[in-house]
Amino acid sequence: MRFNANELTQQELANAVGVSRQTIVAIEKEKYSPSLELAFRIADYFNTPLEEVFSFHPDEE
Amino acid sequence: MSYREKENIINIFSGLLITAIFAWAVYQRHLDGRIDLTDDFQQWGIIFLIYAGVSVVARIIIYIIFHIINAIVTREEDIPQEDERDKLIKLKATRNSHYTFSIGFMAAIIYLALGFAPYTLFIVFVISGLLSEIIDNGSQIYYYRKGV
Repeated sequence: MRFNANELTQQELANAVGVSRQTIVAIEKEKYSPSLELAFRIADYFNTPLEEVFSFHPDEE
Repeated sequence: MSYREKENIINIFSGLLITAIFAWAVYQRHLDGRIDLTDDFQQWGIIFLIYAGVSVVARIIIYIIFHIINAIVTREEDIPQEDERDKLIKLKATRNSHYTFSIGFMAAIIYLALGFAPYTLFIVFVISGLLSEIIDNGSQIYYYRKGV
């Protein structure tokens, strides 16, 4: 999704949504599930519905 | 390695170093006969208070040195702001740390109940305090690496 948005860097996205670059890295590697607020902020940044950015897989929990 | 991971590694080593040096200095005084750690519990109180003060000052100095070296090596002067992931990791690490200290506290009480000398209570407190700090920082490193 970052690449479709003018090859947005992790740092740029992190700055835009108010978290560290490491948190963006962790979300992309599926090592951290963001809070609902952060998930909405990321979706809002890309101007995309939440379910298009994030999906829920209960089997992996 | 992220700033937070480095910070936790520094915390573990500084905690071990400060405690080891302070314990060695106190033990030397005990051997010299300047203080009596076996019966005089007031001395233990004084030692704990001095340790708290020395530990805070030493950690501030170590942090300043760490921050300067980190800024020179990474060329990043700003300390990264704590975000929601950092807070969650810190919370889980603090929980693990409290479990560890609680076990240490119970161990100290069991020692007393078994008839060990009362000063062992303080020694077990120091060891469990140090262990809980290592568990705290170690847990944070683990959660940063493995995910939370």
